[in-house]
Amino acid sequence: MDPQLRRGLLDVCVLSAIKDQDSYGYKIIKDLDPVLKLSESTLYTILKRLEDGGLLTVRVTMFMGRVRKYYHITSSGLARLGQFKSEWKELMEVYKYIEGKQ
Amino acid sequence: MKKEKFLSELRSKLKGLPKDDLESRISFYEEAINDRISCGKSEEEAVADLGSIDQIVEEIADQTPYFTLVKEKNKLRKKLSVATIILLILGFPLWFPLAITGLVLILVLYLVIWILVLVPGIACVGSLGFGVTCFIAMFANMAIGDPWILYLGASIGSIGVGLMLIPASVYAVIGFVKLSKLLFIRRKTKLIKREEK
Repeated sequence: MDPQLRRGLLDVCVLSAIKDQDSYGYKIIKDLDPVLKLSESTLYTILKRLEDGGLLTVRVTMFMGRVRKYYHITSSGLARLGQFKSEWKELMEVYKYIEGKQ
Repeated sequence: MKKEKFLSELRSKLKGLPKDDLESRISFYEEAINDRISCGKSEEEAVADLGSIDQIVEEIADQTPYFTLVKEKNKLRKKLSVATIILLILGFPLWFPLAITGLVLILVLYLVIWILVLVPGIACVGSLGFGVTCFIAMFANMAIGDPWILYLGASIGSIGVGLMLIPASVYAVIGFVKLSKLLFIRRKTKLIKREEK
């Protein structure tokens, strides 16, 4: 897959995983596992990129006497998801046209 | 492998990363292991789940910009002393041409490599061009009543060779790009591990 496209898809997948409820690293990996396999280092890079872009915020909490980071989606993150959905609809129209020509 | 051993080994192989990036990555892995243990895995299983350390280091090398790593490496260098600076200024007429020569040499080497990679492509375009020219020449010879069959033969042969060279040219370029990428990641991995002096 084109790296640019893959990167965009990964961002949206991770945002979707924290959309309804704040989540933490391992839970995100487990939730996304049926759709795509993410390694810890890839997830780290995505989370960092999304945090730097203001699409999510990080909250540090204590869990069983140790630190656990929770990721929370921001309004820009939600906007990004909405934008992805509308773009994807356009793309699907193009796809249907191409498929029909095959 | 135990958690502490894994984390200290990982840390020692990521020395080339900026300090805050290193610390936040290590704590990310620590949390990843702890979360797996909380889910009922044993410490060894949790560590094994993350993959081999070398694999992780290579992935991180791939994701980290080259510029960041070089900048981090340069931080290790000592500041120039006054004597060195004076020497550098005095020696300018000597080292500057040498530096330029070095740069030009590297550029030429790079060009030569690219030309070698492009040789099948150039041969391919040449053969196709020659084939088409022969084909046109064939009609010219036909018109003036000269023997033209030779031109047809040369044209078919040449175009055939040209067509056969197309995959070779494509593979040469793709292969070279892949090789360059591989070498680049390897170089970055070395920088992260701080393997060289």
